[in-house]
Amino acid sequence: MGRLVERIIVLFSWLSGAILLSVICAVTGYLCFKGLKTIGPALIFGSTDPMSALLLRQRVFDGLFPAMAGTLLLVLMSVGWAIPLGTAAGIYLAEYAGVKTKKIFDLLFDLLAGLPSIVIGLFGFSLTLFLNRHVSKELHPCLLLSSIALAFLILPYIIRTTQIALENLPMHNRLTGLAMGATRMQNLVHVLLPQALAGMVSGILLAIGRCAEDTAVIMLTGVVASAGVPRSVLSHYEALPFYIFYISSQYANQQELATGYGAAILLLFICLLLFGLAFVIKKNLPCQVFSQR
Amino acid sequence: MTATCERAVERLFFAAAFVSAFVTLFIFGFMVYYGLPLFSGGRFLAILTSHWAPHQGSFGIYPMIVGTLAISLLAMVFAFPLSMGCAILISVVSRGRLSRILRKVVEVMTGIPTVVYGFVGIFLLIPLVRNVFDAGSGMCVLSASLMLAVLVSPTMILFFCDSFDRVPRSYGHAVLALGGTRIQHFLHVTLPCAWPGIIVAVTMALGRAVGDTLIALMLAGNAVQAPDSVFDSARTLTSHIALVFAADNESLEFKAIFACGVSLYLFTTILVLMIRLAARARGKVGQVG
Amino acid sequence: MPPSIPPIIQSSVKIRVSNLSFSYNGREILRDTSVAFPEHAITAIVGPSGSGKSTFLMTLNRLWEELPRCTMSGRVEMLLNGVHQNIYAPDCGMEALRRRVAMVFQMPNPLPMSIFKNVAFPLQLAGEKDKRTIRRRVEETLRDVRLWDEVKDRLAGSALSLSGGQQQRMCMARAMILRPEILLLDEPASSLDQKAAEAIEQLLVRWKHHCTILIVSHYLDQVKRIADNVVELRDGQLRIR
Repeated sequence: MGRLVERIIVLFSWLSGAILLSVICAVTGYLCFKGLKTIGPALIFGSTDPMSALLLRQRVFDGLFPAMAGTLLLVLMSVGWAIPLGTAAGIYLAEYAGVKTKKIFDLLFDLLAGLPSIVIGLFGFSLTLFLNRHVSKELHPCLLLSSIALAFLILPYIIRTTQIALENLPMHNRLTGLAMGATRMQNLVHVLLPQALAGMVSGILLAIGRCAEDTAVIMLTGVVASAGVPRSVLSHYEALPFYIFYISSQYANQQELATGYGAAILLLFICLLLFGLAFVIKKNLPCQVFSQR
Repeated sequence: MTATCERAVERLFFAAAFVSAFVTLFIFGFMVYYGLPLFSGGRFLAILTSHWAPHQGSFGIYPMIVGTLAISLLAMVFAFPLSMGCAILISVVSRGRLSRILRKVVEVMTGIPTVVYGFVGIFLLIPLVRNVFDAGSGMCVLSASLMLAVLVSPTMILFFCDSFDRVPRSYGHAVLALGGTRIQHFLHVTLPCAWPGIIVAVTMALGRAVGDTLIALMLAGNAVQAPDSVFDSARTLTSHIALVFAADNESLEFKAIFACGVSLYLFTTILVLMIRLAARARGKVGQVG
Repeated sequence: MPPSIPPIIQSSVKIRVSNLSFSYNGREILRDTSVAFPEHAITAIVGPSGSGKSTFLMTLNRLWEELPRCTMSGRVEMLLNGVHQNIYAPDCGMEALRRRVAMVFQMPNPLPMSIFKNVAFPLQLAGEKDKRTIRRRVEETLRDVRLWDEVKDRLAGSALSLSGGQQQRMCMARAMILRPEILLLDEPASSLDQKAAEAIEQLLVRWKHHCTILIVSHYLDQVKRIADNVVELRDGQLRIR
């Protein structure tokens, strides 16, 4: 009987592996089959001259340029909020927090990390309502508010990777600087942070990936299907993931649908690129050399 | 650097942590505040259990709760065996290069955007479900669950593998020395030691499945009804928020999405607490080794 | 009645430990023990492994405060800059203390930077800005540990590329560059081969004329060769042997 069970388990594991691999092949293969032929300058700039589109002289109507510009701005702004806040909080947790404080913060950050992105989006949306009512009638869902809401989405990732990168440094490493009379800050700046940097950067790259792919948050906080390149941080904007979502149900003709496939390939490529980059940086962690002993 | 400066920077770090933590609580407060008329006087429970009929003044989210549970639990039914099989393949059955390549592929899969899965789902999976099961439009609980299973599996596989790898090797030598096979070793040694990690992984995956918006929004059809079969269309709490948020800000219809938000928040809280409990058990297992 | 502290040898006392108790992770390592260490001498600290010798060293430069779950009571006084100081007094600066009381660890612990930067690092931490002074002191110290000729052409190279013995001598140079009055060593030669260990012993014998040296050691022959006094840590008590 034992032999049979073993056979079944082995067979089942191979079968699972095969299913997973065929699914991933089906997803990427189908996308490439349908969308690869659309890849080209026309996918991004449509019928507009690329140069005048880049210089914002001419608006692109039938290409992905506005969506890409929107996603880029969105990512830059969100990361701009989240990196200082997240790294500082991560450093506090790893280096300064007492046992009890750490427990409370840990729980809250786990909770923040676990919140569905639509809940963060709903928060961003209600924040907009609140600001609109109590601060300025001019405030509507916009790039600025989206970026703030997205920053909260990626904040726990950045906090965690910073914290883990610092806490994983070996103890003897931590004591070396202190034993020479370094203050905690000197030790942090000169010894610990340089060694934790690779881990922190790879975490940030993954966070950028999350920013670029998230759709639920921006859906509630100001993304629209057609807005052109955003003129200010207080205006509506387009974004790649939302464009893909929108096209999937609202496409008017085959050409729009083809652009949708192109956009999906593009987004997939961007996310995998960030993912690969994060991996390479993490693999070349300088402190690994140091802790090999 | 002077001592006062050191203290100032430390305070700054604390402030950053405090703000980040405060936001977590603030999100909850904000949602309760905006949904307030719905939460007063024990009406929250009534909303959770009554039906959605805006025209008759009923704003219950019961169908959405059922839809969410149906889709995410069914997704887990698909994802759990698949993930367990793949994890066994990676950690136990295959060796060396193949194992490394498979693990890499799974890692890369975690980086695929959700919207891409949804997009491919619409044009590849929906027609398939429609034709194979003759299931109306094909937008149904089954389609969403299948895609959701693909979405949550990679994370679960990696976590399973990690839990298996954590079981100290020395345990294994005893079994192998007695002439046991790798599978026996896995069944009798690894699995009993790794169960807290498995619980953590499943709970996390469930959280991910419940919290995901796009797959259900794109593939489940979004009909407001408690689904009777896997071929029925359904709407999740998350999709409901995405579909209704543009309604009139003062209407009760609009307020009801905050009930969805609060439910999701509370659900997440419960899962996080469960994960912490399981993780504590996991730490203990590790200590024994 | 306070416990009397027997004089070790006829020389002035550099470190006086009184009524010291220490526990780590809930385990008591030192229990109400007192001892004194003489100036300009090498004192070896011996005892069964796991008795807390390394931890004891850390009570002398307050490094244990960086470890989790430690508690301490008692007094530690030192003669630093010619003045008797209670190192746990609130007005005693921790960083200043650690600059006067240097420490070398069991495993060589080069920081992942160049050889030059490693050795110059304590000077920079102490606020030394002048490039020429730093260069001069680094060379001087590296010559002192007999490492200069081996590394003078690769000062900008990674410290991690040095051999174990070279790394440990570099760490000793790093510890000595601030000209500390007290040097704490935690089995500095245990990870090295015979030859490298002897090189380090010779340094210590030379240094004791301007420095008070405490060394934790397992090797009785090493203790016999270099130690002027031996203190044993057993059952939470420090006793002169």
